Amino acid sequence: MESLFLQQALNGIIVGSVYSLIAIGLTMVFGVMRISNFAHGDFSMLGAYAAVFVLGIYPGWLGWVGSILAAAAVVGVIGLLSERVLFRPLLDRWTDIDIIMVSIGLFLLLENLAQLLFGATPRMIQDPFAGASLNLGLFSTSVLRLFCLAFSCIVIALLQLFLSRTRLGVAIRATSQNRFAALLMGVDTAMVYALTFSVGVALAGVGGVLYGTLFAVFPTMGAMPTLKAFAVTIMGGMGSIRGAIFGGFILGIAETLGGNYISMHYKNAIGFIIIILVLLIRPSGLFGRREGA
Amino acid sequence: MKRRICSVSAVVVSLALVLLVWAGPAAAAEKGPIKIGILGPFTGALAFNAGEMKKGMELALGEVNSKGGLFGRKIELIYADTEAKPDKGVAAIKKLITRDEVLVVGGGYASSVNIATSEVADAEKTPNVVAIAISPTITNRGLKYVFRTSPNSPMFLTGMNKWLEEVKKPKTVAFFMENTDYGRDGEKIWSEVSKKIGAKELAHLYYEIGDTDFTTQISKLKELKPDVTFCIGSTTEQTLIQKQAKELTFVTQWIGVGGHFTEAFFKMSGAMCEFAMGSSLEPTLNLKNPETAAFVKAYEAKNPGARPGIFSSQGYDNVMVIVDAIKRAGEPSGKLQQDRDKIRDALKATDIRLSQGLIKFDQTGQVVTLIPSAVQVQLKDCKPELRIVFPKELATAEYQAPIPWDQRKCK
Repeated sequence: MESLFLQQALNGIIVGSVYSLIAIGLTMVFGVMRISNFAHGDFSMLGAYAAVFVLGIYPGWLGWVGSILAAAAVVGVIGLLSERVLFRPLLDRWTDIDIIMVSIGLFLLLENLAQLLFGATPRMIQDPFAGASLNLGLFSTSVLRLFCLAFSCIVIALLQLFLSRTRLGVAIRATSQNRFAALLMGVDTAMVYALTFSVGVALAGVGGVLYGTLFAVFPTMGAMPTLKAFAVTIMGGMGSIRGAIFGGFILGIAETLGGNYISMHYKNAIGFIIIILVLLIRPSGLFGRREGA
Repeated sequence: MKRRICSVSAVVVSLALVLLVWAGPAAAAEKGPIKIGILGPFTGALAFNAGEMKKGMELALGEVNSKGGLFGRKIELIYADTEAKPDKGVAAIKKLITRDEVLVVGGGYASSVNIATSEVADAEKTPNVVAIAISPTITNRGLKYVFRTSPNSPMFLTGMNKWLEEVKKPKTVAFFMENTDYGRDGEKIWSEVSKKIGAKELAHLYYEIGDTDFTTQISKLKELKPDVTFCIGSTTEQTLIQKQAKELTFVTQWIGVGGHFTEAFFKMSGAMCEFAMGSSLEPTLNLKNPETAAFVKAYEAKNPGARPGIFSSQGYDNVMVIVDAIKRAGEPSGKLQQDRDKIRDALKATDIRLSQGLIKFDQTGQVVTLIPSAVQVQLKDCKPELRIVFPKELATAEYQAPIPWDQRKCK
């Protein structure tokens, strides 16, 4: 029984790390631009398809690493474009509903475009470890899963370094704290917006490659990550990166343990029950700032 | 001057109107195509399988229309998307029946959707020939306009259940089902079989369509070690389950309905799905039947490089059964309700050999003449292929019991 607990906890941590990676992008975009991007998971889908194509040309290890870079680049550029064309014109009008509607429109557009271009047939991203699995007595998992865990943690750490140690990172944080003060201090907020959106969705793209390698790639795959990322972000506090990191792991672990010990029926509901509890006790989320600060 | 232009243009306009009115009825009398509505989840999680069904339907349509159609008129298939959701399905079938005025509605995929849509068809007195759906509910509610050209779940599993009772005789079983009518109906049937053989039911687990992470359930199953795990689901989910079972080194005899054994499933899961079993009417396994062989040949000619799967075969048969009924009902008169009733009566008398085998309906509109056999995935040069293991007289291979992952040669 102990080993089952450990096994489930490990399953939860691994899935949670991917949730975190995808949710960080969402929370960054919300923190800086106040955009609730419902198309976030579809950028993951685009990243996963970019990986499918790169791996079609260069299979194996080289291709897999290349596909992560390609996913970040392709999705980053598409992110830049959609920020410039879709979101920036709306930001000054500043009604949340407009922006949410546009992002939902973008989500429908991307999903159906993907179905048209790539077809509905699900595809697999070849596992670079050829499906090797580790049996450690108490629990077993695949090398790929452990790698995904390590990789997510490294990307998250690098992002933290970028945000805390570089000028650009500081500019992003400043804009997130107070847009007008940052503007007065000479921060080019238009550039910060473009950069944040692009980096945010590029992270989703990278997360999509991991998600697609662990699971499968298909046009509607973005819906689940979007939902999870929103759950994670609301739980951790909208706009808080630390919240997204912890929120991701908490959601992953709660889902697997809850699924195992309470009921599989409620696996997806458990995450939302936790959100309700968190919001009742701490309305701004675990790590959220109070509104109006 | 101005007035003259006005009156001239008035004359021209009224002349044009007269011509239009005059041409109108003539154009209507010119016989249009014979319209058949086709439902299917062409977008959403089941879109891939619906696409397979559509390929079979297009093949049938091509065959009929290239021979001049029916009564000198072309057949037209009007597709409507259900997105695999009952509410969308109801809207889609209403559109087909009332706006497109189709004579009969075919297609359909996913039991939950068809349970809802068949009820609409019956209320609207329009024949509904369901192509792919396995829940017995569809034809056992006494609906007078509903037929089904594929086996329902009790029928689909007769071969498999006999094998369980006579050959495998498992001591412990577990259930891991898609949480839909499709999964739940199969669960009921196998639960009865388990009671009959005295097998202990260790767990009943479920998942939702669109789920991607199954490690929680598989870890739990691994702890329980069932001899047989019944697992009903569609291609994508089943592939992911096989993949994650391998990652967690879980060994069991997987038994499914077999609907997931598609080209995409084998391509995606490769050697991972070795030993999995299901029931099958796979056309390519059944080449001794001349109608099946002809279908396979025609499909491969139309779709080079592709292998026809069960859904293509069922899509093909569905359209062919409908066309056959329209043909026997006589040329549509244009009086919609009369034509629909005539087709319904003709459908009842269906007796035709197609790619799945002989198709005849019982009182309820359910095809009763198709008997699937138990098949197992076995490897040949590390490539998966399906072989019939039961019943004996049809078997093409011996049953192989699953072995631990580290003893398997193919990666």
